[in-house]
Amino acid sequence: MADKADMREAGAEVQASAYRAAHLVAAMPRLVLEARRIAASVYHGVHGRRRAGPGENFWQYRRFLDGEPANRVDWRRSARDNVLFVREREWEAAHTIWIWPDCSPSMLFTSDPKIAPKRDRALVLGFALGELLVRGGERVGIPALMRPTASRNVIERMADMLIHFSSEPPSLPPLFHPGSRDEIVILGDLWSPTSDVTARIATLAANGAGGHVVQIVDSAEETFPYNGRIEFEEPEGGGSITIGRAEAWAADFVAKVAQHRAAIRTETARRGWSFTIHRTDRPASELLLALHARINSASDMLPQRQPATQPVEEAAL
Amino acid sequence: MIAGLPLAFTAPFILLGLIALPLLWWLLRLVPPRPRRVAFPPTRILFEIEPKEETPARTPWWLTLLRLLLAALIIIAAAGPLWNPPPAGSRAGGPVALVIDSGWPAAAQWESRMAAAEAIVARAEADGVGIAVLASGAPPKETSLLRPGEAREALRLLAPVPHTPDRNELLLPLGRLLAAAPAVSVVWLSDGADLGDGEKFATALNQLAPGRVSVVSGGIPGAVALTAADNAAAGLSVKVLRAEDSAPAQGVVRARDLRGLPLGDANFMFEAGATETDARFDLPVEIRNDIARLEIAGERSAGAVTLLDKRWRRRTVGVVSGSTVDTAQPLLAGTFYLSRALGPFADVSLAEGTAPAGAVERFIDQRLPVIVLSDVGNIAETARNRLVRWIEEGGVLVRFAGPRLAAADDNLVPVRLRRGGRTLGGSLSWEQPQKLGSFSADGPFSDLTVPGDVVVQRQVLAEPDGLLAERTWASLADGTPLVTATRRERGMIVLFHVTADTAWSNLPISGSFVDMLRRIVALAGSGTAAASGTPSTQAERGPAPTIAPSRLLDGFGAFTAPGPTAKPIPADFTGRAVADHPPGFYGPPEGLVAVNTLAPDDRMAPLALGPLQTSVEPYHQGEAIDLRPGFLLGVFSLLALDAIIVFLLAGGLSRLTRRRATAATLALAVALSALADHRVARAQELTQAQTDFALQATLQTRFAYVRTGNAEADTLSQAGLEGLSIFMAQRTALETAEPMGVDISRDELSFFPILYWPVLPSSPVPDAATLARVDTYMKQGGTILFDTRDEFASGTGRANEVTPSLARLRQILSGLDIPELEPVPRDHVLTKSFYLLRDFPGRFTGGTLWVEALPAATEEQEARPARAGDGVSQILITSNDFAGAWAVGRDGQPLLPLVPGEPRQREFAFRVGVNIVMYVLTGNYKADQVHVPALLERLGQ
Repeated sequence: MADKADMREAGAEVQASAYRAAHLVAAMPRLVLEARRIAASVYHGVHGRRRAGPGENFWQYRRFLDGEPANRVDWRRSARDNVLFVREREWEAAHTIWIWPDCSPSMLFTSDPKIAPKRDRALVLGFALGELLVRGGERVGIPALMRPTASRNVIERMADMLIHFSSEPPSLPPLFHPGSRDEIVILGDLWSPTSDVTARIATLAANGAGGHVVQIVDSAEETFPYNGRIEFEEPEGGGSITIGRAEAWAADFVAKVAQHRAAIRTETARRGWSFTIHRTDRPASELLLALHARINSASDMLPQRQPATQPVEEAAL
Repeated sequence: MIAGLPLAFTAPFILLGLIALPLLWWLLRLVPPRPRRVAFPPTRILFEIEPKEETPARTPWWLTLLRLLLAALIIIAAAGPLWNPPPAGSRAGGPVALVIDSGWPAAAQWESRMAAAEAIVARAEADGVGIAVLASGAPPKETSLLRPGEAREALRLLAPVPHTPDRNELLLPLGRLLAAAPAVSVVWLSDGADLGDGEKFATALNQLAPGRVSVVSGGIPGAVALTAADNAAAGLSVKVLRAEDSAPAQGVVRARDLRGLPLGDANFMFEAGATETDARFDLPVEIRNDIARLEIAGERSAGAVTLLDKRWRRRTVGVVSGSTVDTAQPLLAGTFYLSRALGPFADVSLAEGTAPAGAVERFIDQRLPVIVLSDVGNIAETARNRLVRWIEEGGVLVRFAGPRLAAADDNLVPVRLRRGGRTLGGSLSWEQPQKLGSFSADGPFSDLTVPGDVVVQRQVLAEPDGLLAERTWASLADGTPLVTATRRERGMIVLFHVTADTAWSNLPISGSFVDMLRRIVALAGSGTAAASGTPSTQAERGPAPTIAPSRLLDGFGAFTAPGPTAKPIPADFTGRAVADHPPGFYGPPEGLVAVNTLAPDDRMAPLALGPLQTSVEPYHQGEAIDLRPGFLLGVFSLLALDAIIVFLLAGGLSRLTRRRATAATLALAVALSALADHRVARAQELTQAQTDFALQATLQTRFAYVRTGNAEADTLSQAGLEGLSIFMAQRTALETAEPMGVDISRDELSFFPILYWPVLPSSPVPDAATLARVDTYMKQGGTILFDTRDEFASGTGRANEVTPSLARLRQILSGLDIPELEPVPRDHVLTKSFYLLRDFPGRFTGGTLWVEALPAATEEQEARPARAGDGVSQILITSNDFAGAWAVGRDGQPLLPLVPGEPRQREFAFRVGVNIVMYVLTGNYKADQVHVPALLERLGQ
């Protein structure tokens, strides 16, 4: 009997996973288009690194400064003049950015059917960011899913990989070893236990990689607009709790959420990461623009990494 | 069976489930409503929140109550409740002996009893057992178990009997039946009334079939009966009996004459617990004497009918005294003793202040049946002649002797008298005062006992002749007559040879005097009784003359022709009716003898069922009703209610805004709006009809008439007003559309300038609200033309005769505020408003047209040729049937002939109509119009 029940349960599980996967596949073209649209809007406003750096293309000649190694002198150019010139190349150091869009079941939650679920927002952001970064010459990868690539059709590849990912994707990015100059963008709801979240961030940042943590939440998850007798259950993990008068719990809940976020913010600040909160009822392009700018500015400081990135104000995005 | 309630359960043991309700209560209290489930990603955070100190979420008490009620309803519905269950009867399922009380007390609720019997037969049929039917009204010699079909047939033939049957006559056949078939159980459909045989029967029944008797009694109104009618001086009283409180506590006793016409009603009311009360008719004696039948209205049983014959008749006796000092010393006047003696059974009319001759003539005019002349000697010639004729037509003249009679000489005495009186025991007489000797065996006093205390001191003596003996009704001890009588044609002369006061004898203060007068008065106006006292029929009187039945009562109290079993009664039959002598009238129409169901001293008692020691079931009126559908409906409604409540409790309100509830909301809204639409539609319909009416009435000027409900009168009104419309269109500038009939109680009247109202004797008197509308119409300027249409009928009679229509009109007008009326004066503007008219003929010419009285003419107005008040008369009344004169058919030919039918009468009738319409439409303008020539002259034109 128990076996049978288990089997039935397992069957239901499989069915639910299949449904989710189908749902993801069905949503993907729309998400891709959306991602391209907002990426295009951001791209027109931002331009690449027009500055000198370790690259292959000529950038400029500049006067030789005293104290520089003599081998930097471009003698051929200097020969035509009385001044020593140094030939600089454009900065082209390709930079790897790992994007983790959380596709776990909890991301399917939405309190208002008119608002897209959090997963869609995470995917759109992830794709658009990938597109922007690739155009900017970076390499984009998905932890444990896609090796960093600078391919022009990065969105399709990301989508392809995500579709074929596990039926039960984890909430937090899997443990991997990012390069010390890599950057990690985590797009998720981060409702895993606080310790799990901070531990994962600590682990990922241990190697010196930079990162940006974006918590994508539904409005209901912040305001707790429930009343009456309600049984709340986790989309993942299967835990549930029955509350007699939900309205009485709202204040405590909001306080706990603030606590949770404060812990994450402390951890990210300590690691030099950024922490942004994004609500699904806000436009995605806002966050994309901010995120893009932040990644660029972070890249600027790559050689001499600043220990702290200014955290974005909670209410902002 | 629930005591006192006609409620039963087909499966009562299921009701034990109600015991489980407290358990259910506990369970329901314990289990809270199911929470709403929400998948909520940050649930983990909730885990970390300190659990709140919450009151346990319990079901609200009223919800629990609702659910308990629901459970109770389900249990009750499952137990199969029945309203008006059929009587259970024998529970054994064996053969049944059905004992039915079919005396008169059962008649009033016969259908219920038969329904109960039917139910028992039906169950016997279902059980496949035999059934015996024994009715107390017709006790069978032998009885046996019948098949249910045969039993039904026997029940169908069963009818209540009009007399009081003895239930004990059933014991013999029942005993035989029970001896032959011991398994038979007895069901007694009792009438609940004990008239002397109840207890004995119950005891015997218990001995015959101990423990197998069930009784059906009560549950329906008990019987009410009438008895002991007494036509006393103050009024006719009758006793109303009942056996128990279940009988109607109050009601109406109705008096009818021989032809069945109602003469009067008397109310009766039982005190609580009383079994006897009185009803009293305060009617004039003449009407009381016509009463032949008293019955309790609405109670269909022979016991509720009391028949009255001439024995209950009260006669008026005219008393004329010859003496003149009577009033000064009343105790010495003969009239005093006569009044006291006649009082108990007759009404005394005293002649006071007139001469005997005048008094006699007055009494004859009043058609009194009996006239007493107390010591009246000679009567004037004319009066005597009338008196003789009156006697020959059936009057009874009773004379008392006295000084004047003794001195007079007339022929209005039964025997020849010797002049002068005879004194016994006086100072100059050696004879002792004589005692009353004997009553003649042939006379009406034959059954009176001879009083020993009557002493006669003086008397007038009769000349002895051959007829004296047979004309003597009472004689003194020495054989001289005290009372003599003779027949004159159909009347009779009775002479007391003593005075009516105590001067000559103490007879007037003895009890025998009352009895003697009673018998004499009873002779008046009754052929047979008078005949029995006359010598000519003596020979024919057999030892026991019998009287054949003529009209008998059936068990329901209705008159029927005598059946084959009714036997003649002896002439002196008294007492209650029996099977051989059913209640009813016996004898020829002029001498009916009434036999009643109940004797005057009969009383009804509740049936004592104590000896039976069995359960008593009530009768049930109406069919058994299965209450299960109602209960189940209740269950489902409560279920729906519970569902709604649970939905709301689980946050349904917030969901209502969501899609899920949209459908329900939509359905609810659709239902509500449909309901509202329906109402609005109805309201609109109503206003639509009113609007149509208003449009029709106002778009063109129309005459209107009041629809009386009598199709003929309405058609005539319509045709009449149509004829008038045509005439008006031809002769005047007024072109009116087709006239309209209005319903005085409903339609708006204010659209019409004039309302023609034909009054029929059969017209209903409008109710107060309608009269108020009519009053408003008149007050606001409308004019009503009442037409009683009966001038022809009233014209033949006396001047102030009130015809039925006029009476009805007066009834109608009595509810209205009507100004003073007068016949149309010669100078009224009505006579000049279009044509110059002298009178106002319609179909008839004799009637007067009444109109609101004009204010008295002032000096100045005297000179005017026409007068009018302020505005138009609210009311016009005629009896000339205007509409009848105006009525024309489709071909333009008049519909009705005119009376007397002078050549120009119809023309003038139309002119009357024109004048009335013009008057109504123009008011006093026409009155002013007569001054136009003078005004023009004054203006110098």
